[in-house]
Amino acid sequence: MAIIGNKKYQERINEHLAKYPDKRSAVMPLLYIAQEEYGWVNDEGIAEVAQLCDMDATQVKSIAGFYTMYSEKPKGKYWLQVCTDLACALRGADELHHELLHELGIEEGGTTEDGMFTAEHVMCLAGCDRAPMLQCNFHFVEAVGGLTMAHLRELIAAARQDDKTLQKLIAKWRDEVNKQVQQS
Amino acid sequence: MAETKLVTITIDGKAYQVPAGSNLVDAAKWHADNDIPVFCYHPKMAPVGMCRMCVVELGMVEKDRATGEVIMENGQPKVRWMPKLQTACTQVATDGMVVRTDTDKVKAGRESVIEFLLTSHPLDCPICDKGGECPLQNLTMAHGNGVSRMNFADKLKLDKHVPLGDLIYLDEERCIQCARCIRFQDEIVGDDVLAFHERGRRLQIITKSDPGFDTYFSGNTTDICPVGALTTADFRFGARPWELTDVPSICPHDAAGTNISLSTRLDRDFGGRAMIKRVMPRQNEAVNEIWISDRTRFVHHFTRSDDRLQSPMVRRGERLSPTVWNEAIPALAEVLKAANGDVAVLAGGGASNEDLWELRQLLKGLGSERLGAWTTHSGAELLLEVGVGKGSNLGTLGKGDAILVVASDLEEEVPMWYLRVKQAQDRGAFLAVANHRPTRLAEIASQTERKVASQTERKPLVGKSVLYEAGKAAHWLNDLANSDPELYNTLKDAQNLVIIAGAEGLDWDGGRALMQAAANLLIAGGHVGKPNNGLMATLPEANGMGLQYLGYTTQNALDIIKNPPSVLITAQCDPLGDDPTAGSWMSKVNTLITLTLFPDDTTQRAAFALPVQSFAERDGTFINGERRVQRFYTAQGPMGDALPLWEIIARLRERLGQGRAKVSAAAVMLELSNHLPSFNGIRYKDLAQVERQYPDVGGKDLYYGGTAYQNKGGLGVQLPTTADNGSAPTTGTVNLPEVKQAKKGELLLIPTVRLYNRSHIMRPSALIANRVAKPFAALNNADAKKLGIKHGDRVEVRFNGGQATVTAQVSDSTPQGVVFVPRYLADTPTPMVITSASVVKVSDAVAVQ
Amino acid sequence: MNIIKGFRTTFKHLLEEPVTLQYPEQMRPFEARYKGRHHLRRYENGLEKCIGCALCAAACPADAIWVEAAENTDEERYSPGERYAKTYEINMLRCIFCGYCEDACPTQAIELGHEHQLSFTDRRDAIYTKEMLIDPVPSGGKPTPQKVEAGAFDRAIPDMPDPK
Repeated sequence: MAIIGNKKYQERINEHLAKYPDKRSAVMPLLYIAQEEYGWVNDEGIAEVAQLCDMDATQVKSIAGFYTMYSEKPKGKYWLQVCTDLACALRGADELHHELLHELGIEEGGTTEDGMFTAEHVMCLAGCDRAPMLQCNFHFVEAVGGLTMAHLRELIAAARQDDKTLQKLIAKWRDEVNKQVQQS
Repeated sequence: MAETKLVTITIDGKAYQVPAGSNLVDAAKWHADNDIPVFCYHPKMAPVGMCRMCVVELGMVEKDRATGEVIMENGQPKVRWMPKLQTACTQVATDGMVVRTDTDKVKAGRESVIEFLLTSHPLDCPICDKGGECPLQNLTMAHGNGVSRMNFADKLKLDKHVPLGDLIYLDEERCIQCARCIRFQDEIVGDDVLAFHERGRRLQIITKSDPGFDTYFSGNTTDICPVGALTTADFRFGARPWELTDVPSICPHDAAGTNISLSTRLDRDFGGRAMIKRVMPRQNEAVNEIWISDRTRFVHHFTRSDDRLQSPMVRRGERLSPTVWNEAIPALAEVLKAANGDVAVLAGGGASNEDLWELRQLLKGLGSERLGAWTTHSGAELLLEVGVGKGSNLGTLGKGDAILVVASDLEEEVPMWYLRVKQAQDRGAFLAVANHRPTRLAEIASQTERKVASQTERKPLVGKSVLYEAGKAAHWLNDLANSDPELYNTLKDAQNLVIIAGAEGLDWDGGRALMQAAANLLIAGGHVGKPNNGLMATLPEANGMGLQYLGYTTQNALDIIKNPPSVLITAQCDPLGDDPTAGSWMSKVNTLITLTLFPDDTTQRAAFALPVQSFAERDGTFINGERRVQRFYTAQGPMGDALPLWEIIARLRERLGQGRAKVSAAAVMLELSNHLPSFNGIRYKDLAQVERQYPDVGGKDLYYGGTAYQNKGGLGVQLPTTADNGSAPTTGTVNLPEVKQAKKGELLLIPTVRLYNRSHIMRPSALIANRVAKPFAALNNADAKKLGIKHGDRVEVRFNGGQATVTAQVSDSTPQGVVFVPRYLADTPTPMVITSASVVKVSDAVAVQ
Repeated sequence: MNIIKGFRTTFKHLLEEPVTLQYPEQMRPFEARYKGRHHLRRYENGLEKCIGCALCAAACPADAIWVEAAENTDEERYSPGERYAKTYEINMLRCIFCGYCEDACPTQAIELGHEHQLSFTDRRDAIYTKEMLIDPVPSGGKPTPQKVEAGAFDRAIPDMPDPK
C-alpha cells in the first residue's frame, strides 16, 4: 500500500504540507508516515516522499540516512535501542548491549528470526540520569536502580506473550521509578 | 565589473594589496603566490570549512578606538591574534588582516589534519586512477608526517566499487567527505542528484536518481574530487597519469568550442599508436571555465572506431570498392574536369576552417561558387554583424544583465552554454527562456530562488519562462513589444543583453526570421558592438560558425537542392541520413563525392567515398558560437588511409593544376587569413597565445581546482563583428514565414535534439549507450486519445520520404497538434525540419514497461 | 737463479686447485642477492601477485618495462586486487638489472632471479612477455583466469602478504 492516495494518511499529509511555506520542509514528518506504513523507510516510501515534497529522491534518502530514528532496514516488531554513550557506558551499557544481543541471538542491528526484536546501540537518548538507557519503539524503558539483564529478560518474555503485557510491565517500572524520585 | 576597493593584508610578513572581500585562500594564491593547502574549498564554489586543511594563524592589526590609528609596539604594528588556528577558506580579506602560514603551529595543524584524514584512507595508491595526480597524495607528501600511528588492521572496510550511474564509480573507502561533488551538482549544475548518507566515518555519497547520477556534467566531479573516490568508468585503469601525454584540443560536438585536453598514450589496443585514453577539461575562463559536459568527456571512441571509413572507395558498377589515393585522386580530377564547372559543395559543421578553405579554392578553380552549408540553422550571417561583441564572456554576466534563450533546448544542444547561462542567472542576471515546450532551462528560468555557488543561503532569482505556439518562435519574438511589453522592456533596457537562438521547430526561412527578430531587438536596445551584448546561435557541431565565415550558406544549400549540380561534393555531412526527403533531389546529381568519417547513407549512393581524419588525428581550427577561432592539435594515431580533409582537396587541386599542395594546416590557415579580411590575418601562433587565468587552477597544486588542466595550447582569438568594427547595424525586416500546417488528420512533426543519440559519432561509445533514450515520439494527451494511442504504445510516424517506428510518450507538456520526434534516435532517418506527419498505432505497450 | 725462482712459482700453482670453471657445463654458484632476469610471482592459490600498477615501469631508469592494466571480474580473475596486468613486457636489451622494479613493487610480484644467460639473435626476442616471465602455477593452485565466488575479493590491493 502506498502513502500517496492512501485515505489513512491523506489528512495528515495535507496538514504537514500546509504547515510550511516550502514543501520540502515537510520531508521529515512525511518520512515518519512512510515509516509507519512500510515499517521502515524503503525506496518506495522515499520515492513517494520525494514526489510529495518536490525533491530529488537522493536528498530524501540522505535525510533518512542522517537521522537514526528512521530505519533503512526492515525492523522487528520491537526495536530495542541501547545507548552506549559515555554516561551509559560508565554504568555498563556496553555489557548490557552485548548481553542483549547474545540473549536474542542476533548481530548488532539484526532482527530475530521470528521477526519480533531488532536490537542495536545508539548515541545519547537524553536519559543519562537513568543510565543505562534503553528505548523500545522510541519509548524509554527505565527501572529502579538501572536496567539490568534480568529486567531485559523479563521485558523480552513479556513482549513474546503479548503487547499489552509488555506495555503494562514498562508502565509498572516507570511508576516505580517515579515513586522513588518523588520520595527522594 | 565594478572596481573593487583594495585592502592591505599581510601574509608571512609581507604586505599585499588585494580586493576587499576576496577569499583568503584565493587572495594568498593569486597575489602572494602562497599556496594554502585545501581539500574541500574550491575556487568555483562556496566555502564550507569542512576539511580544516587550510588552517592559518590569523590576526588583526590593532587600532586605537578613539583615533583609529594603528597601535605600534616595538616599532611594529600591534597584532591581536586569534587564540586558535582559523580556516583560511572561510575568511575574506579585510584591511589590516595579518596571516601566518609558515609557523610551527600551522604546520602542526596541517599535519594533524592529514593524519586524521589518513586514519582510514586505504593504501590503494598503486592502482588508484588518481594516483600520481592526487591532491591527498601531494598534500600528504608536502605536509604529512610520513609515519602513521594508526593500526592498518583497524581501518574501516567499505565498498570499493559502487557505480554511481554508468559513468562514474565511487570508492567509499577513499572518500574524505569534502562534499565537492555534492556541492558542484547542487550549486553549479542545479541537478542535486548526489547527497551524503549516514553519518560519521560511514558517511557516503549516494544517488537515487533514475538513471543514477542523472546529469550531463557528472564527469566534472571526478576532476574536482581531491582523492580517488570518484573515477570515470571510461578511463578506469586505462593508464597511469604520468604515462599520459596531454594534447590541447577542442570539443568537436557543439558550438561552445569547449577547450579540452586529450590524454594520450601509445597503446597495444591501438596497434602501438598514440590513443586517446581520456578527455579532460582545459581551462579557458571565457569559454568553458574548467568544466566539460559528459558528451565532451565520454564521446571520443568514434575517432578510432573500426566502423570508420578507412580507405578511399570508388564505385565500380554496383559496389564501392577500396582503392588507393594515387588512383582515387586522378580519377576524381577527371570527373571534376569533365563537370565543366557544374560542381557544388555541401559542407557540415564538422569540417575545419582549413578544410572549408581548400574546398572553396577548389570550387573557385573550377569556376563555381556554390558553397552550401548543411545545417539546421540559418541566418548565421547575422552573427557576423550583431554577434556577441569581442571580449564577451558569459561568465561575467550578472546583476542588471539579461539573457534570452529562444527556440532551443539548450541543455540538450549546447550543455556548456546551459551551465554558464544558469550560473549567470545565479549571479543575478535576468534569464528569459522561450520555447514551444517545457525544457529544463525553462524550469531553471522560472525558479524564484535556489542555492547558488558562492552563497550558502538560497538566493532570489529573476527570470521568466514563456511558451509560444509551436513553430512560431519568430512570430513571438517579432511581436514581443506588443504581446509582452514588460518582458520586452526588461530585455531591451538591460545593461547587457545576450540572445541565444536555436532552430527548434523552424525551417530555414523561420530560422532566418527568428535571427532577424533577435537582431532587431538587440539593435533597438543598443546591445550590439560591445562586449557581453549580442547574438549567439546553437549551430550544430563545432564549426557552424566557420561555415558562415568561409562563405558556406544555407541559401546556397537551398539553391543546390533546387538545381542539383552534375557533381556534388559532400564534406562531413550526410544529407541522405539526415533528411528523408533528400533522396528526391540527390537522384539528379550525376556524380556524388563524399568526404566522410563513417560509411553513411550518403556513402551508399556516392561514386567516390573518401575517408577523412577526425579532429583527434590532425590539427586545424574551429570557430565557436562566440566567434572564437580555436586551434586543436594532432593527438591520436591515424586510422587506415584517412587523410585530413584539406589535404585530400589540396592534392586534388595539385592534380588539377591549381598550384602545389600546402604542406601543413598552418600554411592553409596562413593563406586563408591573408585572403579573408574577417580573419584579421591571424596565424596559428596567435591562436596559441595563453595568459594566466583566474582562478589559477591546474598548476602543481592540483588540490586547488582539481585536475582541470592549465591552458597551454592557446586561448584562441575572438573575431570582431562588423558592429565591433564600428559599422552601425541597421534593423532588417523580419520576413515572417508561413507557419507549416499539419495536413488534415495529421500532426505537425517537430524534430528535437537529444544530447545522447544514435548518430554515427555516438554509437561507438558503449558507455553512453544506456543513456541514449529509446526511440520515441512525444504526443499530447488529447491528440493521443483521438488517435487511440496510449503512453508506451508502439507507433509508426509516417512523413514525406519515410517512416519510423517508435514508442509513444504521451503527456501534457507536448502542445496539441504536434508530435516531437528527436533526431538520430530511430533506426531510420527522421525529418530534419518541421513537417506534417501521421501517427499510427502499431502495437500495445509492452507489459513490462 | 732467477729462472729457478720463476719456475718455483709455476710449479707451486700447478699443484693448486684450478680457479677456472668449464662454463657452460659448469656453473659458478650465485650470491642470493644476484640480479638476473625477472620473474612474476604467483600466490599459492595460483593468482598472480601483479596488480598492474605500473610502478615498476615508472621506477625503471631504462624504460624497459611496459604494462597495460585491465580490470578483474569474478568470472575472470587474474589477481586478488581490482586490476591485473593485461600486458607485461620487459625489454631485456634495455634492462640494466638494477632491481628498482623489485623495490617499487607494492605486492612483491616482480623479483629478479638468477638467470643471466640472455642472448638473442633477433632484437624482437629480447622482449619478454608476461607468459615468459610468470611463474608456473604452483601445485594446489589453479591457473589464471580463475572463476571465483562473487564478492570473495573486495580489496583494491590485496592485504599483505598472502591474501585470503
